[in-house]
Amino acid sequence: MKHLIASAFIGLLPLNAGATAIEEAPWAPRAAAYRLSLFMANLTPVPWEKIENNWTAPAPGSAVAVEALSRVSGSDAQDIRAALAAEDRQALFAAITTALAKGILQHLEAAEATLGQPEAAFEVAQSAALYRAFEDGILAADKQAAHDLGRAWLVLNSSLGSSGILDNGAQDPNVARFAEARTVIVEYIETNYLPSVFVERGKLTPAPESAVRSGTPVILPATLPPGSNISDQRELPRLVLQFEEAGEDEANLPLVAYGDMLFDSPEIFGYPARDLGIACSTCHNRSDVNRDFFIPGLSSHAGGMDVDSSFFNPMFNDREDDHLDTPSMRGIRFTAPYGRDGREPSLRRFVRNVIVTEFAGAEPTPFQLDAMVAYLRAFDFLPNPQIDEAGLLTDKASEAAKRGEVLFNTEFAGLGDRSCASCHTPDRFFRDGQTYNIGSAEPPFPGGTATPFETPTLRNVNFTAPYMHDGSLATLAGVVDWFNDTKDLGLDTEQRADLTAYLQAVGDGEEPYQRFEGRDSVFRLSWEELTTFASTLDTLIPMRDAENIAVLIDTVAPDLAADASVMTNQNAKPEIYRFAAILQAVGDASATGDWAEASRQWDAFKTMQAEIDERMF
Amino acid sequence: MLSRRTFFTTAAAALTVPATASAEEAMKLAFIPQENPEKLLGDIEAITAWLSQQLEVPVTGFVTFDHAAAVEALRNGDADISFMGALPFVLAEDQIGAVPLLSEVYRGQPSYAGRVFVRKDSGIETLADLQSRDIAFADPVSESGYLYPLDLFVREGLVADAGDADRFFGQKFFAGGYQQAMQAMANGLVDAAGASQYADLYLTPKQQAEVKVLGESEQIPSHAIIARPGLDSGLQDRFVDAMLRLNQAENQYLLAYLYGPDGYVVADPKAYDGVRQMARRYGYLK
Repeated sequence: MKHLIASAFIGLLPLNAGATAIEEAPWAPRAAAYRLSLFMANLTPVPWEKIENNWTAPAPGSAVAVEALSRVSGSDAQDIRAALAAEDRQALFAAITTALAKGILQHLEAAEATLGQPEAAFEVAQSAALYRAFEDGILAADKQAAHDLGRAWLVLNSSLGSSGILDNGAQDPNVARFAEARTVIVEYIETNYLPSVFVERGKLTPAPESAVRSGTPVILPATLPPGSNISDQRELPRLVLQFEEAGEDEANLPLVAYGDMLFDSPEIFGYPARDLGIACSTCHNRSDVNRDFFIPGLSSHAGGMDVDSSFFNPMFNDREDDHLDTPSMRGIRFTAPYGRDGREPSLRRFVRNVIVTEFAGAEPTPFQLDAMVAYLRAFDFLPNPQIDEAGLLTDKASEAAKRGEVLFNTEFAGLGDRSCASCHTPDRFFRDGQTYNIGSAEPPFPGGTATPFETPTLRNVNFTAPYMHDGSLATLAGVVDWFNDTKDLGLDTEQRADLTAYLQAVGDGEEPYQRFEGRDSVFRLSWEELTTFASTLDTLIPMRDAENIAVLIDTVAPDLAADASVMTNQNAKPEIYRFAAILQAVGDASATGDWAEASRQWDAFKTMQAEIDERMF
Repeated sequence: MLSRRTFFTTAAAALTVPATASAEEAMKLAFIPQENPEKLLGDIEAITAWLSQQLEVPVTGFVTFDHAAAVEALRNGDADISFMGALPFVLAEDQIGAVPLLSEVYRGQPSYAGRVFVRKDSGIETLADLQSRDIAFADPVSESGYLYPLDLFVREGLVADAGDADRFFGQKFFAGGYQQAMQAMANGLVDAAGASQYADLYLTPKQQAEVKVLGESEQIPSHAIIARPGLDSGLQDRFVDAMLRLNQAENQYLLAYLYGPDGYVVADPKAYDGVRQMARRYGYLK
């Protein structure tokens, strides 16, 4: 299920983008800071410093790089600062909601004062940009009010008039109609977002005050804050699968294909990950890393997040703000133990840990775990002709890299009379399966012990920046410097450059990113992937396995339809919608136990697939 | 009005590249704001730097308030070149003699169409079914977001002219942009939306699957790059040559800084005859 994280979008990403078609439109600075504040104030513990930064520095997801607080009137800014200083959630909610609501009304007032001039359109747009921060709360609480307000905004925009182009095409404003619509919005905002006192709220949401006061539960859709990016990264990593390299087709390996589907399925996770459309592949993009993944409040920087915060699974919350860099899964069958801290020697058990513990999913079935592990075990490293099977440099490597290889294998006192290669063992994929405390982490709390972390592989490491468990070092040269400085290796500038050149030679890989050209498009890749997933129905329908069919259909049918958005051949979109509907019909029939109908629809699906295949790009 | 982009907010900045020639030879580009003004400023910096290098004169760029402000800037000499939709261009041509230099190629075509969209579950099958129903257009000065979709109703004999549209429809709205018009339709605030053929891409993938096209207008020339009258012809020619070099493989990455077309072709002034006629028919040109 492809899910988008806000109600306003920019439109299609460039055609080299991933499967999620739409980019979130940036937010007005105050609206961004407001939504970020709500999101972060609902975390446990509350990251007060980050919330403050959202108001005193340009907030993530903001349309303009200004401090939100600079757009707030003096007294309202004072109230926000006081609430932040007191670390008082309720006071913060009241202060920021009031500031935003006043902003909406002030811009509407300015629009009315400038009707007939270009400024009026600007002021309405500014007001609407702030209203966006409340919009989903109103829709969830009161559909009729949301409808009436939506119409009022339409009337406002339609009553502005237009000066045309140097008076060509000019239209007069409709003052009375504008005033009437403005009144609708003003009255609602004053009642629901500018009350004299806000009801005490356990969870901070943009739900209107009247709904909260009435005690009626308001079910808000799961959302991520402004500045979040859970779309596939712009440059899709190339996926190297062992069986494909050997000439085998995934469609002939139903267990692997089903595991591949599960890897792309939010259905195996619990709330909120499932509702947000987050799947394993969201972070572990095509066996590698989604370097663009970012959630403000959970991620220190793109390409990772604090996986044990209170957001995805409150029960798993370690109450530490400890961002983890997302590891690549290339060659994962060779890189046990799993988890940055190497907590789990079994890939199967670690997969279960991610599903149940990190993302609050239901206990997966043995079959689902078998399938996922079968798929993951097919992930290979990118080929690298600069090293041989024993991890030794070949003649394709540079002279600097060869000098670096010597250093890499040199014992240093600062490393306990060991070499870099002692742990990053070349003939063991440049790792040793052990965990160490190398001084890269502080104890998690005073009096605690620093967590040891596993030795990561160096294969394909050129494409997995930043480095270390927390992504704290941006470059391989930085890693070399860090070891040189903290372990007193005594390397001079040239030696450090040589060692870096060696790491880059070892960490290289051929064709690291998927190339798209002409009909070989992003959608074509999705099409082949999703129809391969569907091919497991050839196995599942005869087995009458309704449970696994349901997971498959709930994942693939919506994805097919969603991915149509990125088609180069937009004319073929309606065919995709029909195609996805046939697949849904397979699921509907399977759910009711009508296996004859399920088979009939599945045959229809395969027939249509053959008919339209050529146009699918 | 922004034809292919939604007006979100404004940002004004002038980005100057260090001068390599006299100020008289400098070139000033006006950009129309888009959804992400911060990105646009970065885009302008990238593209003006490249153009400065190509033209060997300093090229600066700034963001205007809207099309009208861009035309005003061309008139008073604050801008030499501007990006412009087809309808605002013919209005600017009429008023100040603006000249079309280049046309965007988008998805392989130097033209596009306006469409009327409805929700699949609306029960609406024809344009005639929209009688007494509500419709949202993007903006009154928009070719694909108003004039061309409206013309579909005129050609069907359902509406006599722009003024008559208010009689035919229940309510006719101008939502402020493609995205707002499409969202109003998709969310059930109105029954239909008139917008660019690509406007459904402003909807979520789920919403896109829930809408259908009721009618498609004749082709509209795609967005243009236009010049003020009197711009030095030599500089103008060098600018056009430079922009056409963006079609070369090694330069195509720069197109992402220019509203993301596939490339550019030399503009054909005759290609705008249809827009001129449309503008006259609906009273935009005297």
